[in-house]
Amino acid sequence: MIEHDFDEDFVPIAAELQRLPYLSPSRDFADRVISRIDRLQPAQGVAPVIASRHLELQQGGQQAVVRRRGGGLVRGTAKAVVGVGLLAAAAFMFFEIDVLTAILSAAASQYAFAIAAVGTQLGALVLGSETIAFLQAGALAAVLLYLTLAVGLFGGYAAIRTAAHIAKRKAA
Amino acid sequence: MTPKSYTDVSDQQVVVFAQEGREDAYRELIKRYERPVFSLIYRMVRDNETAEDLAQETFIKVLNNIDRYRPEFKFSSWLFKIANNITIDHLRRRQIDTISIEGSPDAITAERARATAVTVTSGGESPLEELESRELGAQIERAIAKLRPEYRACIILRHVEDYSYDEIAEIVKLPLGTVKTYIHRARQELREYLGDLR
Repeated sequence: MIEHDFDEDFVPIAAELQRLPYLSPSRDFADRVISRIDRLQPAQGVAPVIASRHLELQQGGQQAVVRRRGGGLVRGTAKAVVGVGLLAAAAFMFFEIDVLTAILSAAASQYAFAIAAVGTQLGALVLGSETIAFLQAGALAAVLLYLTLAVGLFGGYAAIRTAAHIAKRKAA
Repeated sequence: MTPKSYTDVSDQQVVVFAQEGREDAYRELIKRYERPVFSLIYRMVRDNETAEDLAQETFIKVLNNIDRYRPEFKFSSWLFKIANNITIDHLRRRQIDTISIEGSPDAITAERARATAVTVTSGGESPLEELESRELGAQIERAIAKLRPEYRACIILRHVEDYSYDEIAEIVKLPLGTVKTYIHRARQELREYLGDLR
């Protein structure tokens, strides 16, 4: 309570002013602010806070919801590691894979984080950030796209190996 | 060290965590001040969407520059200072001086007016009490809206947010004497507009 520094006739008005309620912005206000803050680390220890809302603000129109894609790089890295692992396993199973390929596969797994980071940047440059966001969203279509890319990669690798094998035979 | 909860953590301490880039600290600061900041801005611009945009701009500016916060000042004062600057800049650009609690002064159609209106719901009051309370609140809101923007900011900071004259002078970047004059004149004008409340 502030000190009483006004005339008596202002007292009821001051009382009414103090009773003015706080108004609330829309429910996704914090998310929209956070989505535009740089230099953030993911939350640790404390759960995301949801403000109690005794007062509601009526929103007449649709609000554009900007979803944060925090952890996209981590997810991308995890997917890259799994993808490379699966490809390496398939290569061992279906082809006579050499040690060099195995080492390269292992290296790719080890440096997956850096590869994923560079890949994400290159992907954003080539495919556009919206496409990358779509891929990271994990939709069914995105899974199919991943599979298509993996099959293409796998097929290309097999074709190169076959061509090299044929060339080696002819040379022999 | 990470707190389990920010309940008993001071603003200054939360800011330290925010300066480390911790998202939960940012969210805590937004949680603590989104309603006071939004309310101040709304009462100055009287338009829901504009108030939301300006409040968002305020928090983005403050949180992206959290390293510049000087702990010798109250965090809330710094936040209100930026909110006031952004709002005054907006008002100078748009010259919106009149309001309606029923909706934006820019509303052309009734639908648009409804869309920009603020609905305040309260708990625990009878319908009659709520109606009276809302009517009184609406009178106050209308009276505040008739004040000059500079008066509005000062009177709200003084009587709604309980800031001292010195703090208000710091927030609105005006000399102490000017702030006292603004508040004195704002009170006089409110007395005139709200004569039947006395």
